[in-house]
Amino acid sequence: MSLITIEQLTKRYGSRLGIDRLDLTVSEGTVHGFLGPNGSGKTTTIRVLLGFLRASAGRASVFGLDCWSASRLIKSEVGYVSGDLRLHTWMTGRTALQIVGQARGRDLAQKGAELADYFGLEMTVKVVRMSRGMRQKLGLILALVHEPKLLILDEPTTSLDPLAQERLYDHLRTMARNGHTVFFSSHVLSEVEDLCDRVAILRAGQLVADETIERLRERAPRTVTIRWKPGENAEPPTPPGMLDLRRKIGRVWECDLTGKVTDLLAWLADRSIEDIEISRPNLESLFRQYYRGGDT
Amino acid sequence: MNRGVLLKSIREVWLASLLFGLGFFVFEALLAFVFPTFFNEMAGPLLNLPFFRNIIRALLGAEVGDSLGPKVLGSLAWVHPIALIIVAGHEIVFCTRVPAGEVDRGTMDVLLALPVSRWQMYVSETIVWLGTGVVVLIMGVVGCLLGGSSVAPENRTELSLLVCIVANLFCLYLAVGGLAFLVSTLSDRRGRAIAVVFALVLSSYFLNVLAQYSHIAEKIAFLSILHYYKPFAIMQNSGWPAKDMLVLAGCGAVLWTAGGIIFARRDICTS
Repeated sequence: MSLITIEQLTKRYGSRLGIDRLDLTVSEGTVHGFLGPNGSGKTTTIRVLLGFLRASAGRASVFGLDCWSASRLIKSEVGYVSGDLRLHTWMTGRTALQIVGQARGRDLAQKGAELADYFGLEMTVKVVRMSRGMRQKLGLILALVHEPKLLILDEPTTSLDPLAQERLYDHLRTMARNGHTVFFSSHVLSEVEDLCDRVAILRAGQLVADETIERLRERAPRTVTIRWKPGENAEPPTPPGMLDLRRKIGRVWECDLTGKVTDLLAWLADRSIEDIEISRPNLESLFRQYYRGGDT
Repeated sequence: MNRGVLLKSIREVWLASLLFGLGFFVFEALLAFVFPTFFNEMAGPLLNLPFFRNIIRALLGAEVGDSLGPKVLGSLAWVHPIALIIVAGHEIVFCTRVPAGEVDRGTMDVLLALPVSRWQMYVSETIVWLGTGVVVLIMGVVGCLLGGSSVAPENRTELSLLVCIVANLFCLYLAVGGLAFLVSTLSDRRGRAIAVVFALVLSSYFLNVLAQYSHIAEKIAFLSILHYYKPFAIMQNSGWPAKDMLVLAGCGAVLWTAGGIIFARRDICTS
C-alpha cells in the first residue's frame, strides 16, 4: 500500500522551477531514500508533503489525504525533522516535550524520557545552551516521540556524532520492521545504501531514478585502477567505452567500469599492465553519475 | 485554538507583557498624581501659553477652550505619546512574532510540523495577544487609580469614565494589532514587519496632530486610527464613543481576518 503518492507535482518559485512534474510513491513499512544534489528539489518536495508549500500543479497525498487541504490530519501521524533545525532558544527539552504533547493532545513525557535516554540527551538544558548536535537530538526526539506512522527526515544526521547516527539508524530499522514508514533525504550516500530499501534520485527538480537498492547495486559501476607497464605503446591513447576515465596520474588510470568484468579482462589480455584492482559495485559512483546527469 | 500553541505563546510573552504592564502602571500612576496635584502651578504660567495650549490641543485632538481643569488634564495621561508607545509597542512586538518572527528565526518549521491548522495557530496567538493586552491595560487603570488616590476626590477621574477611556483604548489596540498581524503574515522578516507597522502608526499619529493645524490634514484625518481615540471627548461628554469604537474594532477585525486568510493560504519557507 502506498503511503505517499505524488503525481505530476510541480512547484514554481516565481519563474524558477523547484520541482517539475514529479511522480513518486512510497510504500508502507519501507525506508525510502531521497537523494539529489543541492537545489534539486528534495526539501521543496518534503515541504509540499507537509503542507508548508502549496503545489503549483499536480497532486501530493499522504495516507490518501491531500497534503494541502488535510495537512493538519496528516501531521497527527507524521514526524518531521530537518537537518537545519532551529528550536526556540528559551525552551528546555522538557518544555518542548510538554508543548508538543499539549499540541498533539497526548502525554508524551514517558516516551520522551525513554528517547532522551536512548540518544543520551539531558532534557533540562535550555536550547540556547545546547550544541548543534544536542539540538538535532531534541528535534529527533520531538519527531519520534508520538511513534508516527510516517517519519519524514530531511538530512537528519548532518550534525550528529557517529554514535548518535548509529542509534538513529537502529531506531529507524526497528520502526520499519514494525510497519512504520521512513522517507529519508540525505547527502550521505553510505547511510542511504546502508539503511534504505529503495532510493529516489532527483536532479533539477525531476525524478531521474526510483529503484530498489538491489537493483541499483546490479547497475552500479566498479572502480577500476590500472597501472600500465612503463614503455612505449603499453598505455592505449583512449579508454574503451566500458571504462569511464575519472583520473589519470602518470601511468595510473582510475576509472569507473560500466560494462562487465569479463569484457574488461578480455580487453586487457593483450595489453601490458603492471597491476589492476577492481572494486565491489560502487553505489556512490552511480549516484554521482545521476547527480552529474551522465548516462546511467 | 490549540493548547500547545497557547502554552508556547504564553511562556514566550508573559515576561515582556508584564514589563510593558509595569511600565504602563508606573506612567499612569505618575501622571494621575502629577496633573491634579500641580494643576494650579501649571495652569497659570504654562497652560495659558499659546505654545502649550497648542500642544495640548494636538495631543487631545480638540480645542480645550476654558474647560481645562485638573480632571480634563487627566485625560492627557491616556493620549500621552509615552502611553501610546507602551500600548502600541506591546502589540507590535507581540503580533509580529507569528508568522514573521518565527519564519525569520527558522523556528516556524517546528510549529508547522505540529498537527495544528494555520487558523488554529493564528487564533491561539490572537487569544494570548488579547489576554495580555487586557492585562497591560488593566495595569494602566490600576496605576491611574492608585496615583489618583492621593489627590482630592473632586480631581480624580471617575472609574466609569476611566472604563470608557480604556474601552476606547482597547479598540485602538484591536486596530493596531490587526494591522500588525496583517503585516506580519505578509512578511518573512520580523524587523521589516515591525518597521512597517511602526511607520504606519507614527504616520497616523502625526496626521492626527497635524489635523489640529492644517485644513488639508483635517480633511484626511479620518484616515488616522488615532482620530477615533478620544479620551478628552469622553471626559467632556461622559459618554461612550460608540461610533469611534465601532470604527476601530471594525478596522481591527477586517485587518485581522485579512491576515488570517493570507497566513492560511501562503507558502511558508524558512530556508
